This record gives sequence, C-alpha cells and structure tokens, in this order.
Amino acid sequence: VYGINSILYQRGIYPSETFTRIQKYGIPFFVTTDSTLKNYLSNVVEQLKEWLFECTVQKLVVVITSIEDNEVLERWQFDIECDKKAKDETTPREKSEKVIQDEIRSVIRQITATVTFLPLLQTPCAFDLLIYTDKDLQIPEKWEESGPQFIANSEEVSLRSFTTTIHKVTSMVAYRKMSSS
Amino acid sequence: MEDLEDNTTVFTTLRSFNNFLSQRTEATPVPETSSASCSLQLQYRKRMQLEEQAEQIHSKSQLLQVEREKMQMELSHKRARIELEKAAQNNAKNYERVADQNQELLGRIKYHQEKESEAEKKLQEQIEINKIYKKSMETQNKKLQEKESKLAEANEMISVLKAKISELQHKSMNQERQQVIWDTERQELHEKVEIQRKKWQEATQKLQMLQVAQTISEENEQKIKDLETKLSLQEQDSVIVKNMKSDLARVPEMEKELRRLREENAFHRETKENNALLQEEVEGLHRKVERYEKMREDMVNLELEKEKLLGKLKGWENLKQMTGLNIESPEDLSREIIILQQKEITLKQQHNSVTNSARALEKARQQLQEEVLHLRTRNLENENKQEQQNALVRRLQKRVLLLTKERDGMRAILESYDSELTASEYSPQLSHRVREAEEMVHKVHVRNAELEVELSKALEEVGSHKLKAQTLEAELKILKNEAAIAEKSSFINSEEANSLRQKIEELEGERGRLEEENRGLMMRLERSNLQGDYDPTRIKVIHFSQNPVNLAKQHNIAELHQLREECERLRELVRVLEGGGSVPEKLEGAVNLPSSQEITDLRKQVESAELKNQRLKEVFQKKIQEFRTVCYTLTGFQIDITTENQYRLTSMYAEHKDDCLLFKVGTEQLSLYCIYRLVDFFVC
Repeated sequence: VYGINSILYQRGIYPSETFTRIQKYGIPFFVTTDSTLKNYLSNVVEQLKEWLFECTVQKLVVVITSIEDNEVLERWQFDIECDKKAKDETTPREKSEKVIQDEIRSVIRQITATVTFLPLLQTPCAFDLLIYTDKDLQIPEKWEESGPQFIANSEEVSLRSFTTTIHKVTSMVAYRKMSSS
Repeated sequence: MEDLEDNTTVFTTLRSFNNFLSQRTEATPVPETSSASCSLQLQYRKRMQLEEQAEQIHSKSQLLQVEREKMQMELSHKRARIELEKAAQNNAKNYERVADQNQELLGRIKYHQEKESEAEKKLQEQIEINKIYKKSMETQNKKLQEKESKLAEANEMISVLKAKISELQHKSMNQERQQVIWDTERQELHEKVEIQRKKWQEATQKLQMLQVAQTISEENEQKIKDLETKLSLQEQDSVIVKNMKSDLARVPEMEKELRRLREENAFHRETKENNALLQEEVEGLHRKVERYEKMREDMVNLELEKEKLLGKLKGWENLKQMTGLNIESPEDLSREIIILQQKEITLKQQHNSVTNSARALEKARQQLQEEVLHLRTRNLENENKQEQQNALVRRLQKRVLLLTKERDGMRAILESYDSELTASEYSPQLSHRVREAEEMVHKVHVRNAELEVELSKALEEVGSHKLKAQTLEAELKILKNEAAIAEKSSFINSEEANSLRQKIEELEGERGRLEEENRGLMMRLERSNLQGDYDPTRIKVIHFSQNPVNLAKQHNIAELHQLREECERLRELVRVLEGGGSVPEKLEGAVNLPSSQEITDLRKQVESAELKNQRLKEVFQKKIQEFRTVCYTLTGFQIDITTENQYRLTSMYAEHKDDCLLFKVGTEQLSLYCIYRLVDFFVC
C-alpha cells in the first residue's frame, strides 16, 4: 500500500494537497486522504493479502494511463515469486524484521529516485492496479478480467528486489519512450 | 435739413398739384349743357395738359428727388468713408490693443498651461494617492467585512450556543422533572416491593401448604395409578375372557374348517407330488434337448474338423511328394524335426566349442603378445642399461685419466711451489694461492659431478623414451596386423563409421544452431516477461471493476454529456434571442438562471427603482418650474440655458421680446463673460 501511495505522490497523479505524511519503516511516507481512493486501495489490498497467503499471485502491476487519449504512459511491475512449500511448513523461517525493513526502505528510495529520469506526465492521468494470478483462480465478485495493458514503445528499467523468507519481490518500471529529445 | 427742405418742396408741389386737380374738378362741373361735348373736349385737353404738366412736375420732382438722393448718397458715402476711416483707425487701434491683449493673453495662457500641467500632475498624484487610499479602503473594507462576517458567524455561533444552552436548560429541567417523577416512582416501587414481599411471604406459606398437599396428592395419584393398572388388567382380563368366549363360539366352525383344510392339504400334497414328478420329467427332457443340440453342434464341428483334417491329410500326402523325404505322417515329420533339432544342437555345441577355443587361442595370443612386448621392453631396457653402463665406464675412465692428469699437474705445481718456497719468502701468498687453487678444483669437481648427474638423468630419459617408442611401435605393428586381418571384414564398418562421423558432424552443427536459437528465444522471453507478457494458459490478469481509470473515464463521459446538453440549450437560447422576442420561461429555467423567487424580487426592486426615478423627475421638474417662475416674477430676470455653458438672460422690462444677454461660463473661478448684445432695429 505504501509503495503504491508513494508512486501516486511522486508521479503527481493526484494533487499533493490530498496527501499527508506518516512515518513507517523508518522513513516518511505520503499517504492519500481521499476517501474513495482509500476505499479502493483497502479493497484491493485485502484481496491481495489473501492471495499472497495462498501463493496464487505472480505479479502486481500499477498502470498509469492518460485520461484523454486512453494511452498507457507508465507501467510499474512487481514480480512476486512465492515459495509454496512455506505454506505447509510449521516452523517459522528465520529472517530478522530489521533486514526486511531495510530492503523495503531501499526499494522505496529507489522508486523516489527513478522520478528523476522518468518523463513528465503532461496530461491528466489515472492509475489502475492489475494482478496476474493463476488461471484457475476464482474471480471474486467485484473483480473482472482485463488485458495486460502493454506499452507499445517502451523503455524498461529494473529496480532492486527484496525477499522475506517466503516471498521474493522484484520490481521494474517501464515507460513510453519519448520521440523528442 | 436739406432733405427736409427738399421734402417740404416735394410736399408743397404735391399739395399744389392736388389743389389744382381739385380746382379743376370743381371748376369743370359748371359748364354743363350743350357745350358739354366741346367743353368735354376742352376739359379733356385741359386735363391732358394738366396731366402733362403734372407729369412734368412729377418728373421734375422725381428728378429733384433723385438729385437730392444722389446728393444724399454722396454725402452719406462721404460720411461712410469718413466713418470707415474712423472705424479703420479705431479698428487698427483696437487691433493693436487686441494684439497686445493677445500677447498678454498668450503669456497668461502659457502661465496658465504650466499651472495646468502642474495641476494635472498634482491631480494625477492625487488620483494615485486616492487610488492607494481606495485600495487601502477596500482592503480595510474587506477586512471589516471579514470581521463583520466573523462577527456575524460569532453571533450566529452565540445564538446557536444560546439556543443550545436554552435547549440544555430545557433538557435539564426535563431531566429534573423526570428525576422527581422517578423518585416518586421509586417510592411507589418501594411500597410495591414491600407489598410484594408480604405477598411473597404469604406465597411461601402457601407454597409450603401446597407442597404438603402435593405430597398427599402424589400419594393419592400413586394409589390411583395402582388402581388404574389393576383396572386395566382387569379390563384386559375381561377382554381376554370375551375373546375366549368368542373363540369358543367359533370352535365348532373352526373344526369344520379344519377338516376341510386337511382334505385340501392332502389334495394339494398329491398335486405337489405330481408337479414335482412332472417337473423332473420336464427337466430331463430339457437336458435331453440340450444334449441333442450340443451333439448337433459337435457334429457340425466334427464335420468341419473332418474336412480340415482331410485337407491336412491331403497336405501331408502332398508334402511327401513335395519334400521328397520319407514323410507320410506327422510322426515322421516330427521325427525328422527332432532329428534336425538334434543336429542343430550338436552343431551349436560344436560352434560353441569352436568359439571357446577361438577365444582361448586369442587370449593366449594376446598373452603371448604381451609377453613378447614385455620381453622386448626388458630387452631394450637391458640394452639401454648396458649402453649406459658402457657410457659410464667410458666416462669413468676419462675421469680417471683427467684426475691422474690433474694430480700430476698439481704435483708438478706443488713441487714447483716447494722449490720456489725454499727459494723465496712468499709462503703466505703461495699458501693462499694453493688454497684458492684447491677451492677451484673442488668447485670444478662438484660441477663435474652435477653435470654427470644431469647427463645420466638425460640419458635415462632418452632411454625411457626410446623404450616407450619401441613399445608403441610394437603395439602399432600388432594393431596393424590385426587391422590387416580384420580389414576385409571391417571395410563396411569404416564406411559406416564415416557416415556416422558425417552424421555426428551434422548433428553437432544443428545442435549449435538450436542452442543459439534457444538463447535468442530465451532472451526474447525474458524481455517480454520484463514488459509484462504472460502465458495465457496458466496466468490471467484481473483488476478491480471500480478502479480509478474506469471512474475517471465515466466522469469524463458524464462531463462530456453534461457539456453537450448545456451547449445545445445555450444554442437554442441564442437562436430564440436572435429571433427577437422575450426569453421564454422554459429556456429561462433551462439556462439555469437564478431561482424564480430571486428573479421576481429583482424585478420588483427594478420597478420600484424606476418608479422612484420617475417620481423624483416629476417632483424635480415641478419644483424647478416653480422656482424659475418665482425668480422671474421676483427679480424680473429669466435665465435660460441655450447650449452647453451658454446662458441667456432676458429681462421682464425689456423693450422687445427678443432682447437678451448671452453669457458663457469660464473655466476659471466660474466667472461669466458677456459675449454680445442683441438689439433689433425696425426698418420700414
């Protein structure tokens, strides 16, 4: 949730006034105060937590599209590799909380740093969250199938990854190559 | 005066003429009668003469007049000239004066213009200051308004709070009342509780009594139950007795029935036996039928077999003719087969034995070859060793010779040194030199030994290499022999090997190519994976229906729709307005003007304002009119406005209606300058 919020804040999808500052994992985060947005995020994240526990999620993608011409401008992709055996084991795996927090912090710092080379978003934009799951998963009520929302002429940048002992998350951002210099 | 005199002469002539005419007219009527016609003629002639005289006089008078007029004109011309000259002089003077005045005025104008510019600058400064003041005023006004609004809000808050306080007071009052009510209720309830307690005590007492009564009643009930059971038993007994009676009544009938049934039973038994017998017969017949059917089938099969066997027999008979062997029956064939098999077995055994012997021979041969090799190698080694030893011997002999030579040389040197020593006194130097020489010799010996060691090692290596080479040559010879033996049989194998080698090369080439393709595909897969590609058979992509993109799109579509509707409404309104005519109420409503109440209020306000204006105008007009009339009547002067800045003053007591004074309003000090004075001259 915090990663998504920081992406929204950094890319200016919603105006900065609608964000408040909170402290988490040792660094300041900006989270939104808009109630519809919070509602949407909480719905998605709840479902996502369930699926993460069942290890049926492969990817989480944040797609930023321009409202006017419906074109995908940016694509933030988080690949999730889940160790399925961990579900059946009873003994908890050893990895210190601090190390995981450090890794998360570094990923968030990298997301903030990528803003420097990503092209400016000129037109008003909206975002969407796509989840890649197993084919045989039952789609819950409020969800629907969608396309993968590729970018046609894209430039990809791979970011850091972090692991808890059960999941490994690799992140990357793809953006539309600008024809002008 | 001359004119007057002239005039009087004219008048006197005219008067005389008129008198003459009147005399003539008076004189003429006297001679009336017969000399009328000649008198008439005379009169007429006289008249004509008179008229001519009159005309002459008239013309003379006219001439005189004209001359007089001419004189007058000349005089007037002179006068006019004089006057013009005077006027010209006056005008010149006036012009000079006016020029002076103009210059003065120009100077003044410049001075005034400078003053004006200064005044304008001051004005602008003042205006700016005013603006600044206005802005500050506005800000202050805004602040005041804000404060007022805040005050109003505060007042509202106060009122709200007061209302809340009043409400709370009401609530507190209500609560106090409720509390009082509750206290009274509580007291009542206490009383009720006491009453209930008394009742409860009574109730407990009653309970105890009831319990006692209950126990008694239970005992009674038990007794009743016992009695009831007894009663039921008795009833049952009575019922049984009744049944027994009824049964007894039925007994004779039953006996009759019994007899009948027995007879029937016997009958049935007989029939059963008959049935059983019949069934057995039927079964026997069924079996027979089955057997006969089986026999028929067997017959058919047997006939088929017979035919087959006949065919086989024929075949066997033919076989004998075909094979030429002494075969007439399958037994013979089997015998023959057995014989053949036995032969085969024996042949196989022989073959096996032969192969065994061949293998043994091969093994022996290989062993012998190995032994041969081994012996050869040993031989070679021995030879090498011998050579080495010979070489060693030779070296040693050489060394011995060298050593003897050295010894001789050293002995000679020593003897020479000894001889020299006895001769001279250079003993320490000589001993030193001797020591150096000995060290040199020692070093040389050591170097020699090392070199000999290296030489021996090298020779050994050479010998070993030679050994290896020779063994390899021997093996090669053996292999060549084997290859020569097996060449003919392995000719095909070499061809196959070549083809296999070619196939192997082709396959390796393909493998390399496929590996590269695989690498390329993996790269592509990775790239597409990075871009977000997925395997649709295993993975699917889902998202929340109410996601922000959809919401934004819907919002956009709704906005677009709204804007289009508004646009159409505005277009209709524009069309109606362009067509002229008032805005219909529907469009008013559609254009979202402020609510109708506000519109009516505003209209009322507008009407009232217009009414006020009109009334004020009327009142003003009346008052002004009154004032002007009063002024005119009281002062005798009437002031009218002709054009902008020009005023006309007319007096009540003026000689003529159109006499007036025109004034103009000056820019400075609001003074009035008189422009000119109108006086009308009456000309007849």
